[in-house]
Amino acid sequence: MEYAVETFSLTKVFSDWWGRDKVYAVDDLNLRIRYNEVFGLLGPNGSGKTTALKMLLGLLYPTKGRALCLGGDGADPKISARIGFLPEESYLYRYLNARETLDFYGRLFGLPAKVRKMRIEALLDMVGLKAVANRPVGTFSKGMARRIGLAQALINDPDLLILDEPTTGLDPIGTRQIKDLVLELKKRGKTVLLCSHLLADVEDVCDRIAILYGGKIQAEGHVKDLLLQTNKKQITTGNISDTAVERIKQLIEDEQADCVVTSPMDKLETFFIKTVATAQQQAQPTSGAVSTTRIGGFLTTETPVENILDKLVSEPVSQQPPPEPPTTEQVVPVETSEPKPDEELLSKLTEPTKPAPLKPVVRNGKVKTEPVESKSPKPEQGKKNILDQLTGRSTHKKEDSE
Amino acid sequence: MRSIWAVATNTIKQALRMKIAAVFVILLIVLLPVMGAAMTGDGTLKGRLQTFVSYGLSLTSFLLCLLTIVVSIYSLTSDIKQRQIYTVITKPIRRFQLLFGKLLGVILLDVALLILFSAIIYAITIYIPKYFNASEADLAQLDNEFYTARNSLIPAEVDVTREVDEAYKKLEKSGRLPEGVPREKIIAKLTEDQKRWKRAAVPGQQLIWEFNNVRPLDPNQSLFIRFKYDVSVNPPDLNVYGIWTVGDYRQIKYGTKRETPIRDFDRKDAIQTFHEIEVPANVVAEDGYLAVGFLNVPLNNTVVIFPPEDGLEVLYEADTFTGNFIRAVLLILFRLIFLACLGILASTFLSFPVAILLCLVIFFTATVSGFCLESFDFLGENLSWVYSYTIRPVILLLPQFDKFNPAKFLVPARLLSWPLLAEAAGLMICIKAVLLLLLALLIFSFREIAKIII
Repeated sequence: MEYAVETFSLTKVFSDWWGRDKVYAVDDLNLRIRYNEVFGLLGPNGSGKTTALKMLLGLLYPTKGRALCLGGDGADPKISARIGFLPEESYLYRYLNARETLDFYGRLFGLPAKVRKMRIEALLDMVGLKAVANRPVGTFSKGMARRIGLAQALINDPDLLILDEPTTGLDPIGTRQIKDLVLELKKRGKTVLLCSHLLADVEDVCDRIAILYGGKIQAEGHVKDLLLQTNKKQITTGNISDTAVERIKQLIEDEQADCVVTSPMDKLETFFIKTVATAQQQAQPTSGAVSTTRIGGFLTTETPVENILDKLVSEPVSQQPPPEPPTTEQVVPVETSEPKPDEELLSKLTEPTKPAPLKPVVRNGKVKTEPVESKSPKPEQGKKNILDQLTGRSTHKKEDSE
Repeated sequence: MRSIWAVATNTIKQALRMKIAAVFVILLIVLLPVMGAAMTGDGTLKGRLQTFVSYGLSLTSFLLCLLTIVVSIYSLTSDIKQRQIYTVITKPIRRFQLLFGKLLGVILLDVALLILFSAIIYAITIYIPKYFNASEADLAQLDNEFYTARNSLIPAEVDVTREVDEAYKKLEKSGRLPEGVPREKIIAKLTEDQKRWKRAAVPGQQLIWEFNNVRPLDPNQSLFIRFKYDVSVNPPDLNVYGIWTVGDYRQIKYGTKRETPIRDFDRKDAIQTFHEIEVPANVVAEDGYLAVGFLNVPLNNTVVIFPPEDGLEVLYEADTFTGNFIRAVLLILFRLIFLACLGILASTFLSFPVAILLCLVIFFTATVSGFCLESFDFLGENLSWVYSYTIRPVILLLPQFDKFNPAKFLVPARLLSWPLLAEAAGLMICIKAVLLLLLALLIFSFREIAKIII
């Protein structure tokens, strides 16, 4: 079993009412996605991305060919127990509230009540919907519904995560969070199949991509290989003097090459996150999602200890300091041009809102308690460290670095 | 099992929170007490009770049937239409488990509502006599004729094939066969005549009917001989004199020692009206044997006939009203289970409105299935094989809601026996509903869940 996802001449033809072949939605698709790979399936609208995913999951039957997920049929419960799927829109039961929604999916996975409860809280926290967890999801905005959709895809801590247009309707923080999550999952040895036409998202996180058009693969390969401009070089420096710039320019001109010097600009994403982080720090009320970039605790541990973790975390464990400080590692995407500002922002967003965590806000004479992001409780940290002791692993958890 | 349960509870939540069930619940909660107070029947207390029980149960059954059809269809079709099924079916749940979950949810909802409403009907039924301050006599009558479950025994059919054959041959020999009438029709007429003849007594003749398995609940209570006279020539005062003998007739036949009493009744009764003779239940032999004899007194000077359908029956209390009521409610539950399976089947391949329409047509046809069968039998005489291979099997596949109508048992206080209930369960659930469910599983397992979007 070399591949997490493998298709053999996968073909889907949609016929008309008389049974005549009408459209080749997917045509002779041969996909091979290795384990622990983040794979992007790109293509314009109607290129067959979603159809291919649906065949992988058994929602549609192939006209020809075969699709394997984790070495088996995606519709087989043994296999689907290890898959997380976020469809192109979050199709949720409008009458259930956020917590009940996750509980329902958790029960479909046969998760024991304790584990379910622990994971639901962690996921609600992660997608920033803890404050609105008791509201029916029918009243959620598109982005909030998307977040619940994402949470349900993660409740089984899947080995293979299939995300169809995951960032549609999400605000930049949510988008950023999904990207971070994908990278974190990859770090844990999971495989992610991402299907999108938002190229920036794919570019940021994918190892390999395939571009579909007319149901066929038009290009496939490593993102870096595909995008690398071998005929150009880029130099980024600190704030150096104009003289130094002139000297470098001269050096480049000696090499018979063109040279443009500009100051790099902040990305709009970075600016947006900065603004929202400031507002959150001032504890302004919101009825929407309270974004964090924190990732659900059970998702950030190594796979083999998953069950032990569930057991330990669901039982009260006495706090015990870790034997040595855990090594910290940033979850910030490595590929972005300027990781520095993002790091600061992430820490701002995740750091406890010290100034007024639960202070009632008086507005128009009414007292409102604002849905402030609750921090992951200390004991949990202790539990995880105990787990590390037990399993002899050094953690790479972002929470631990707080 | 866990996933089935998860789907089942979700289906119940859906029915409750989408307010589908609320409409029906409110309607029933308002209507039942109003009916209890407003319905008068034929003016007597018994009539009032009979009308209330009949209409109350029928209304509950009708509304719950509609609710079952709507919920069972809505649950799956809305999942497919609004695509929640994408996130459900991609979880470790098999398709049959999803269907079973939906079905279980609908049935559990039905059971809960049925318990609630039948409890209300039962409470009102018990309370009505107190509310109207019924007299002692009224109460005694109610105990005998309403708050009870009487078993009815009718004489076994007599085989008359030989007599019919002989009569036919006789007619043939003498050349008196009617012309242009098919043989079957003549045979049918002769059979009917012979059967009547077997239940007729010429002046001075005694007819004896024997019954087995007579098991009165309490030997100290009474049993009832219910009968109606038809006569060949009307007697002058339109009354028939008869001597009735009830008891273990074998004691007379074989001259054995009398273990149980044999009772005689000299009576004068009007013709073509139902009468009941009350007999102490201790006349029944220990092995459940009972004989009823009727002697046509010669002075009547007319042939007395007991019509084959309802000319004579023995009624005795075989169970309590409560037991009968519970079984009647179970009969409604069987209906609901059948309809739930039907709804699930329809929703596996039809959209919501079409599925609703189909189920309603089947429901109403099943409600009048007896009438349908009769009328088609009549019409089908001229297109015999086309009919017997097309429409008839389809109608026979439908459940017979009218045959197993609970009011038919509770209103005349007839025993709805466990074997009859088992027959209803066997036909409606074990055969017909299971067939529907298998078909639903077959269709749902092979259909593509996702819609075609390109």
